[in-house]
Amino acid sequence: MDRHDILPERPVERSRGFMPGVSVNPSRILFTAGLTGRHPDGSLVSGGMAPQTHRACERLQAVLARAGAKFEDVVKQLVYVTDLEAYNADGRSERGKFFGSTRTASTGLVVQRLADPTMLIEIELVVDVAGSPQAKPLLEKYNAEEHSGQFYQGVIVNGGRLIYLAGQVANNRDGSVAGVNDLRRQAEKVYDNIGHVLHAAGATPSSVVKETTWVLSIDAWRQHGTPVRRGFYRGDYPASTLVEIRALARPEFLVEIEVIAAVA
Amino acid sequence: MPFSTIATPEAKPVANYKMATCHEGGQLLYISGQVARDTSGNIVGKGDMRAQAQQVFQNLQQVLRAAGGDLEDLMKITTYITKIEDFPAVAEARSAVFRGELPASTLIVVKSLFDPEFLIEVEGIAAIGE
Repeated sequence: MDRHDILPERPVERSRGFMPGVSVNPSRILFTAGLTGRHPDGSLVSGGMAPQTHRACERLQAVLARAGAKFEDVVKQLVYVTDLEAYNADGRSERGKFFGSTRTASTGLVVQRLADPTMLIEIELVVDVAGSPQAKPLLEKYNAEEHSGQFYQGVIVNGGRLIYLAGQVANNRDGSVAGVNDLRRQAEKVYDNIGHVLHAAGATPSSVVKETTWVLSIDAWRQHGTPVRRGFYRGDYPASTLVEIRALARPEFLVEIEVIAAVA
Repeated sequence: MPFSTIATPEAKPVANYKMATCHEGGQLLYISGQVARDTSGNIVGKGDMRAQAQQVFQNLQQVLRAAGGDLEDLMKITTYITKIEDFPAVAEARSAVFRGELPASTLIVVKSLFDPEFLIEVEGIAAIGE
């Protein structure tokens, strides 16, 4: 495990129950998908921020449990909300019930939209999992509950080396933008670029453990991007998060995807 | 700096950052999204991206140093801003901080951060020496 809390006394994070930095010896690392307040049948729990936060954390707890982990093993959390006032009023305290006194590294973002327009919160985790990676496959991809999404709820990396890709956009080798006003073309180019970088690292699409897809329109992405994504992963999906945001580095960019992969 | 850099002529970055990095050993450090608060917790540079970006990178460096590393140990950063018009000021602050190439990098313009006063938040992942 060998976990170190970095600058625990710094008041900025301390007052909010977070830790400025957490370092671990990455022996077994779990990446969760961004999880939300959905029931197993895909519908969203009713009642707004508090029930959605509770349900998202309950599902994360199940994903952690499958890996033999608890909230106290979480290294980093990323919290996406669409309504900051509601989060401050009802979400933060609900999330706190699950984390207790555990202080993790954390980032919080207010985004335009999550998978469902009425979703208020989505949380993803990076977790230090106990146990030896020996005699285990490099990647353990699993679901803690049935769902119809094209992703795994958790992926454990057993003793491999982690590869962090820069956010990939639809740029050609000469720096020009591929597929201006054409999301399908941009999706193809982004996955081409990801494929090339993975190849250079000795990895393949099935080596991807976590994916974050940032788009200007989730509706447009489902129509034009999802088929391209399906062709890239061919069923061997990572844990993933899909988020609608305001803008990317250039006005032409409609999508940016970043992935974390692992090799032996 | 226990990580390697991945590069390929087939896919090049759109600016001065690494396309990918691979952790090769040592501790893996996850750094919280850093915002423009000083050591006492007060917000620095209200409405001033340049001042906020400087404070953010200073805070990031403080965490890295406390972990026994420094900016060159960063494998990956993600920069979240709220207005794309602010990007030039961010790019300027970043190049003042990083000598040479940036880590693998992502830039996202979000609706807002967790305090409406914040214009920028930067999180990072670093590989800290054996």
